[in-house]
This record gives sequence, C-alpha cells and structure tokens, in this order.
Amino acid sequence: MSGNAIAEREVALVDLVDRLLGGGVVIAGEITLAVADVDLVHVSLRALVSSVATAQRQGVLPADSDAP
Amino acid sequence: MIELLAITDDPAPTEPPLRIVRAGGLGVIVAPANEDEVDADALWRREALLEELMEQRALLPVRYGTLVQDEAAAAAAVAGRGDALAGALRRVRGAVELSVRAVAPGQPGEGSPGEHLQARAAHERTAGALHGRLAAAAREHVRHDGRELLRAAYLVDRDEVGRFVALVRGLQAEHGELSILCTGPWPPYSFAEPEGA
Repeated sequence: MSGNAIAEREVALVDLVDRLLGGGVVIAGEITLAVADVDLVHVSLRALVSSVATAQRQGVLPADSDAP
Repeated sequence: MIELLAITDDPAPTEPPLRIVRAGGLGVIVAPANEDEVDADALWRREALLEELMEQRALLPVRYGTLVQDEAAAAAAVAGRGDALAGALRRVRGAVELSVRAVAPGQPGEGSPGEHLQARAAHERTAGALHGRLAAAAREHVRHDGRELLRAAYLVDRDEVGRFVALVRGLQAEHGELSILCTGPWPPYSFAEPEGA
C-alpha cells in the first residue's frame, strides 16, 4: 500500500504546483524565487498523472484518491 | 527579503516564523524568504503553513514567489487594493478549493482523423457532463484546458466537502472507463484574484 500513498502524493504535488504557478492573488512585488526550479518539478511530474491513471484502472489504486 | 504568503482580514497573531503585517483593515502574512533549493519537500512545508492558517481564518493565497524587501514594502504592496481584496476574501470565506482531474484511456492521434474527431467530441461531452454535475455542488468553479479530459477547480463550502467527495466517487463509479482524481481541500488558490482584476 505504500506505493499507492506515494502515487497519491505525486498526484497531489502536480495539483499543488499547478496552483503555485497559476493561482494565488498577484500582488506587486519583486518576484525572485526560483520559479524555474518549480517548473522543472512540474514537468517531471506531468507524466505521472497518466501513469497513475493506468495503475488505477488496473485496480492498483483506489479511485477515491482524495489526498493530501 | 520576505515572502508574502497570504492576505487575511483576521488580525489574530501568527506563530513564528510567520508574521502578520497590518495594511489598513487587512493583514499580510509573511515569512522569511526561503534561501534553500526548491524541492517538493520545501513546497509541501510551505503548503502546510498555509493549510494551518486556512483552518483558523479566511485567506487569499498570494502568487508563489512574491518577495518584497521588508514589512513596510509588504504593507505598501497591499495598500490601495484593500477594497478589492476584502471583496475577494468575502467570496472565499467558509469555503475550500477541491481539484478534480479526469483522465481518459488512450492517446489522441490513434485511429483515422475522423475517428479522432469523433473521440474528441465524445470526450468533450463527457467532460462537460462531469463538470456540470461537479459545478452544481460548488460555490464557484473554473475549468482549465489541458491534456486531461477534465482539469478543474471547485470552491466548495467547508460543510459540503464530504458531499462533494461522495459525488466524485459516484461519478467514478458511473465512469469506470475514466480515472477521476480529486485532491484537496486546498486554500482557494484558483479563486483568490479579485473579480474584474
């Protein structure tokens, strides 16, 4: 079951990064955080959504992955 | 440098390392800027701080990576937008964000162009139906384009989260051919921008 927990956490991370990069109220400030680094995390995790989906269809993952 | 994490209208103090900076009737929750390398754990630690705050008060998450020099600059950044931000806080009060993705089997590009178009139209009908039922259970909703059949965010009353998750499970049971992935509750990232901004 630990494999499932990791997969769910990865799906949640994709959702988190989506929100960090595209969400939140934009306030005038000096944006200097390494957003590029986060983008890389984002890209490397993109493929996981479809692989997790495959695992789920095969009954490996519960369908109700309402993590975190 | 300090990072702006969230806007709130609850003046209650925060626990270190967070600080709350008063800006008119609003408060800006700030933290020392993160100097470390950004990795998944760092993002989750930041998220945990926000989610703890979200349990105690209505808040608007600030776009990730917003840094200012000091607390005076933090207050100045919010001053002048007070009314719009207060309106946005009213909009999200008592609600949380839930994310839903639906992923369909098969990759676009399989089969003839005609079959491809037909499959796309069928997917779009399914996505529209799913989104319609989820949106009806939400206070507000936003749907994004993406490779997935459906990628959307829903602003759901805290008291209704259980009902919403049950709805997702029901939709998954109806659509065994899809994988429906629901995460949350999240702070209202997708509903933080004042309307008309």
